[in-house]
Amino acid sequence: MRKNTTRKRAIALILASMMTASLAACGGGGNSGGGSSSGGGESSGEIDTSSHEVINMLVLGNRPTNGRLEAMLEKLNAILNEKVNAELEYTYVEWTDWQTQYNLQLLSGDTSLDLICTATDWLYGWENVIKGAFMPLSEEMLQTYAPETYAQVTEDDDWEICKYEDEIYFIPEDNYIQYTNQGMFYRGDWAKEAGIPDGTITEFEQLTQYFQWIKENQPDTIPWDVAGKNLPGGILGGYISSKSDYVCFNGVGVGNYTDFWGVMQSDGNTVTSPYMEGDEIYEAAELMKEWNDMGVWREDVLNFDGDAREEMYAGTSGADQHHAQTYYSQIVPNMEAKQPGSDPKFYYWGMENQNISHPLKLHQACAISANSQHPERALMVYDLLRNDEECYRLLNYGIEGEDYLVTDDGKLARPEGYDSSTDALDSNFWLGRNDDLELQDSTWWDGTQDFIANLNSIAYDYPFENFIIDTAAISSQQASLANVLSKYLPQLAYGKFDDPAAAIDDMRAELEAAGYEDVKASIQADLDEFVAEHGDVQFVRDSGSADTAEAADTSAQTE
Amino acid sequence: MKKKTNVAKVLKNNRTLLLMCLPAVVFFIIFNYCPLPGVWIAFTNYNFRDGIFGSPFCGLDNFEFLISSGELWKLTRNTVLYNLAFIVVGNVFQIVIALMLNEIRNKWFKKVSQTVMFLPYFISVVLIGAIAFNILNFDTGALNTLIRETGGDPLQVYSMPGVWPIIIFFCNMWQQTGYGSVVYFAAICGIDSSLIEAAEVDGATSWQRIRHIILPSLKGTFIILLLFALGGIMRGNFGLFWNLTGGVNSQLFETTDIIETFVYRTMTTQNNFSTSSAVGLYQSVFGFVLVMFSNWIVKKIDPDYALF
Repeated sequence: MRKNTTRKRAIALILASMMTASLAACGGGGNSGGGSSSGGGESSGEIDTSSHEVINMLVLGNRPTNGRLEAMLEKLNAILNEKVNAELEYTYVEWTDWQTQYNLQLLSGDTSLDLICTATDWLYGWENVIKGAFMPLSEEMLQTYAPETYAQVTEDDDWEICKYEDEIYFIPEDNYIQYTNQGMFYRGDWAKEAGIPDGTITEFEQLTQYFQWIKENQPDTIPWDVAGKNLPGGILGGYISSKSDYVCFNGVGVGNYTDFWGVMQSDGNTVTSPYMEGDEIYEAAELMKEWNDMGVWREDVLNFDGDAREEMYAGTSGADQHHAQTYYSQIVPNMEAKQPGSDPKFYYWGMENQNISHPLKLHQACAISANSQHPERALMVYDLLRNDEECYRLLNYGIEGEDYLVTDDGKLARPEGYDSSTDALDSNFWLGRNDDLELQDSTWWDGTQDFIANLNSIAYDYPFENFIIDTAAISSQQASLANVLSKYLPQLAYGKFDDPAAAIDDMRAELEAAGYEDVKASIQADLDEFVAEHGDVQFVRDSGSADTAEAADTSAQTE
Repeated sequence: MKKKTNVAKVLKNNRTLLLMCLPAVVFFIIFNYCPLPGVWIAFTNYNFRDGIFGSPFCGLDNFEFLISSGELWKLTRNTVLYNLAFIVVGNVFQIVIALMLNEIRNKWFKKVSQTVMFLPYFISVVLIGAIAFNILNFDTGALNTLIRETGGDPLQVYSMPGVWPIIIFFCNMWQQTGYGSVVYFAAICGIDSSLIEAAEVDGATSWQRIRHIILPSLKGTFIILLLFALGGIMRGNFGLFWNLTGGVNSQLFETTDIIETFVYRTMTTQNNFSTSSAVGLYQSVFGFVLVMFSNWIVKKIDPDYALF
């Protein structure tokens, strides 16, 4: 009997604790689709905009809390309301765990979403097309509801790259130049003292010399205080593309390692992986071991998640790794302000062998949700946002006089006391920025235009813009490969193996066992199909044709 | 007719109890039973357009990844061993602490120590990870600074897979013990005080009281908590493991990789809901079998303590 009462008590106790748990868990709010249902509308002639619609735009980023976005939207919506009887609403996918959140948001079948920010290299564009998350857009529809955008994209002949099974799914951000090729930021003043000619690093090996000098002469500075936790593949890929003519396929990485699959320029029709074939990875891993032994990064680099960029501004890291746009928009202005005379420079991968591709046109794009209740109106709103100067400036820069100013020479400036860390608009309209309307930022490095022109002149066109890989067919093997890579690459990238060569041999054997050949064959089959349709893969440079560079230059400067 | 009135009567007589159960029942129906058909995703090649039940059936293909990666054994072993240690040692610690709290006569001291032990439970695992890094890292960590100052050779803790089971175990105990002991402490408080008083009158020492009255009374609570915990034996404390080991430091995988961290690492960028569901199903089925089996054993030994 006593046993029983104890047991009852215990059960009651547990039930009570469960109840508290269940009550606590019941807080989540439901998200009901708020889209009013309006029919497909009309067929020809006058566009019917008699019903007021709310257009919901999905962007990536943290929702700003400073009220600037709301202030801007109020003004913008007044215009949109007047012109197309619609208003714009924002849905943010916050950066925390954005990969999952983004895909879940699309998966949820939410009928209130209309405009969606996507990308084929970093936002699972093709995968989501194949999975049916986006609505196919007919040319008539685009022509009718987004005429200006349609005309511009047609002129640039970019609809082809947006097609899957002959239907258009993306509106590319193709009239906006943004170089995102990766590389290393370093200090020109130190490089000069390290004995590097002109203080300009032009070869990968010179980084060793630079780091060595810092190690010996700057005791308070870690040569490159990288957070290995956030860059698990290190710069192995950077070495590979600087030492070979390897070009990776965007958007079909293995786990965190986005440059695993690709081709050699010399043999553009054959799928390969430098991690599996060739000697560059051995050389890269040896070099990284040398760096690790030298103390280029801290011992616990793989568990460190500090911010090398901030440290570089503060003078405690000698280098930082990221892409070109970060260099000319942030690194130069910040370094000049915080480390006067440091002469910040950028050594980008592929500099020495000119292995650089033009930016992807689908590095960002707009798609219409498959569940959108009013795609026509969404396109009309989009066309205004992308092409109407007033709307464009409001959306991207905010309210003139409060969020931004235009200088006398037509550049973008910020009002007195503006602090980008607290006052930013964060509207993140990466669905269709437009160089015709873009204001050149006066806070950026003033050499930006020349820098871009130079890259334009040496870069080749990325030939795989419309190369769609059937990722569903290979996903389970890809996961197995990802698992092998996650075991080896972080340690190879930061020189943690005593014998990197032996580790690479082991890794290759394991990759082989995990289904490397199957995945390769599957991608090769896709590539064969692509080649059959589009002809041999070629890497076209417009080198020498100075007018192209100039055209890009002027288009970026005009407003 | 007669039966019906009986049911109504039972309902009426126990209405307060039933009402108290209601939130829990509703919770489980909504969050645990309604989503159950979604398990189907694990057997399909899921795509958005066709939805959960329209997507093509692909049998056990999604489970292949777990097996073909060759990691299943290591992951299952790590997950189960860690959890066994947490469950068994954890419960023992919790009971011991509850007993000690019960013996403390100074009310003020009792409250303070309870609060201090309780506190770690509310510290985020992200913070625990950061604290651990600041203690253990090679260049600036507290531990290694101490070792250097005293003339020793600093330890590369983040390259030593062997010590991590101890570190993880310690952190888990530190975080969970205070909270868990409350359940036992409450159970002790619920013991009929006349029993203990009678024992005192008969001259029983505290040890004898614990040994012959308190511990046997806790047996029921212990077994129920144990059975519940066993159901989750395939589920690791993802946050703790991920934050302590950093997630990408592959030097530690051999001893710290559990199913959750493995799945997160390999699947997070793959956008593959089917395979993820397959892994979840594997964990659930394994846990279910284990609970049924342990319950069956408990029933054999003493049916009074079995869950059902």
